[in-house]
Amino acid sequence: MIWVTLALLLGLLALSFPVAAVLGIVGLALDQLYAFLPLYLSLGEMTWGASTDVILVAIPMFVLLGEILLRAGIAERMYAAMSHWLSWLPGGLMHSNIGACTLFSAVSGSSVATAATIGTVALPEIEREGYEPRFFLGTVAAGGTLGILIPPSINMIVYGVLTDTSIPQLYLAGMLPGLVLALLFMATVLIGCWLRPAWGGKTRRSTWRARFRALPDLVPPLLIFLLVIGSIYAGLATPTEAASLGVIAALVLAAWRRKLTVAMMKRALEGTMRTSAMIMAILIAATFLNFVLTGIGLTSQVNALVTDLGLTPMQTLLLVVLFYLVLGMFMETLTMMVATVPIITPVIVGLGFDPVWFGVLIMLLVETAMITPPVGINLFVVQGVRGTGQIHDVMIGAAPFVVTLMVMIALLILLPGIALVLPEALAR
Amino acid sequence: MNLDRLLELAYRLARFGAWFGGGLIVAAALLVGVEVVIRKAFNLTIGGADELSGFALAIATTWGLAFTLLERAHVRIDSLYIHLPVRVAALLDLIGLALFIGFFGLVTWHGYGVFATSLRVGAHSLSPLGTPLVIPQALWVVGLVLFLAIATLLLIRAALALVRGDLGTMRRLVGSRTLTEEMAAELDRPEDAASAAEVRARR
Repeated sequence: MIWVTLALLLGLLALSFPVAAVLGIVGLALDQLYAFLPLYLSLGEMTWGASTDVILVAIPMFVLLGEILLRAGIAERMYAAMSHWLSWLPGGLMHSNIGACTLFSAVSGSSVATAATIGTVALPEIEREGYEPRFFLGTVAAGGTLGILIPPSINMIVYGVLTDTSIPQLYLAGMLPGLVLALLFMATVLIGCWLRPAWGGKTRRSTWRARFRALPDLVPPLLIFLLVIGSIYAGLATPTEAASLGVIAALVLAAWRRKLTVAMMKRALEGTMRTSAMIMAILIAATFLNFVLTGIGLTSQVNALVTDLGLTPMQTLLLVVLFYLVLGMFMETLTMMVATVPIITPVIVGLGFDPVWFGVLIMLLVETAMITPPVGINLFVVQGVRGTGQIHDVMIGAAPFVVTLMVMIALLILLPGIALVLPEALAR
Repeated sequence: MNLDRLLELAYRLARFGAWFGGGLIVAAALLVGVEVVIRKAFNLTIGGADELSGFALAIATTWGLAFTLLERAHVRIDSLYIHLPVRVAALLDLIGLALFIGFFGLVTWHGYGVFATSLRVGAHSLSPLGTPLVIPQALWVVGLVLFLAIATLLLIRAALALVRGDLGTMRRLVGSRTLTEEMAAELDRPEDAASAAEVRARR
């Protein structure tokens, strides 16, 4: 049964059929093959239930928040301010890339949106300032992945819903690893520029006057972050309510910047629905597939199979990490999550690992998948924004940061506290 | 009326669906946001905003499906696809679309069942609002039917293109999105270029 499921799923996905259709059809096929009672009869109830889930409402809202901010022109000013503060370091603007990505991640729940937004502002600087293009491109591709680790995070909502884990706890757990990873990315830039000084471009001198004058440009994203994430932790709001407040604040900000027009809103709504309907179609099909997988007893079979392997919990965990690293090279990341997380998480939690901590680990693995060739969405995004040259440049430039992510994954496994200290402190 | 004219109309309808769906999300955000503020500031619980936002999500999803389909934004794994001969790839495009229609056809059928049951028993939601469920469910099913109609039209038009050997049109309608097209969609925002230029000037 396990092998039939795996073969069907991977086979149909490899034929490039739409992922939502594949998940649904595999669910129907397994239902026909193995279920005692026809499970598809509850498809209507299940779809209605899943699509009215209040937690999921946060997804289109966070997408909308990103779409509005993208068009409100905060990214440009934020980037300029960051460059005043960070570009004196060896590696110059590459540190601003990571700093700006980190800050944008705090208002955006998507890594693609983060890389695209910061990339649009940052990439023109390569030629103007004479940077080594590859390494520079790598900083944007890798920095962008922070989008799903630093709250808010759409992928964490998906993980939370698939595994029934608290989303506020996940958000808290992602914060410290997000900052540590950002610092590690910057350390990677420093090491790279130390080994190859020519990669560094010009370092810029700024004055303290200019730095403080630029500070107000960092305020709008920080305010929105405090409003959205602060209201969750102050116990004032659920993630959906916090997302609503974020959308309202973004609308106010866009209006204040005189960017709020009918044409702009139409584009923002189209972008929101393009992403949200795609995610929801996949989640609807995945809900049905998971219902079937549980119904036919596949989840417990996988559990039994893993127990039969006779590995220690740590060996099993490392096997899972390896599995995701390989799968992530070839598979689109949302698909990877919805197809594997509901099956693998119960196994890992059964071995005594914390589900919130594992959620953060999954985010890091998804981030790695986003910048490992041949299929890495952030590599494509950065190349797409750049518009000239070869995709290979981005792949090579991102490679050092894949190593950094491995270091971060090892750190998280050795010191689970990096993720768990904040949620535990708040639980008390 | 010829098929392409019909498809053009379908696109406009789908785009309207996206505006409508997106508008519902904005409305939900305003409603939920105002409710939170009132609840905390005046210690007043109105209630029901979360239920209505759930309905908004369900309706927005089905009304957005067609637009997402016509924009070719439903995710596909194209690692193998891009290495296949164009004719084989085109055939996979068609089968994939047919499978999509098949699964969501079944969802629509059983979704209609949910609506019909609510209508028969006069179901109300269990919250203080006690919303008659037929209202949101009717809009939800209409979205699904709209999606199926547009998707079927797209399937017929694409199949016709394949039969005629017009692989260019076929690819434009249902092919997996290429990198450049992906970016054009992600970055269609000239106003940003303008403000970027403005910031550069300020530096």
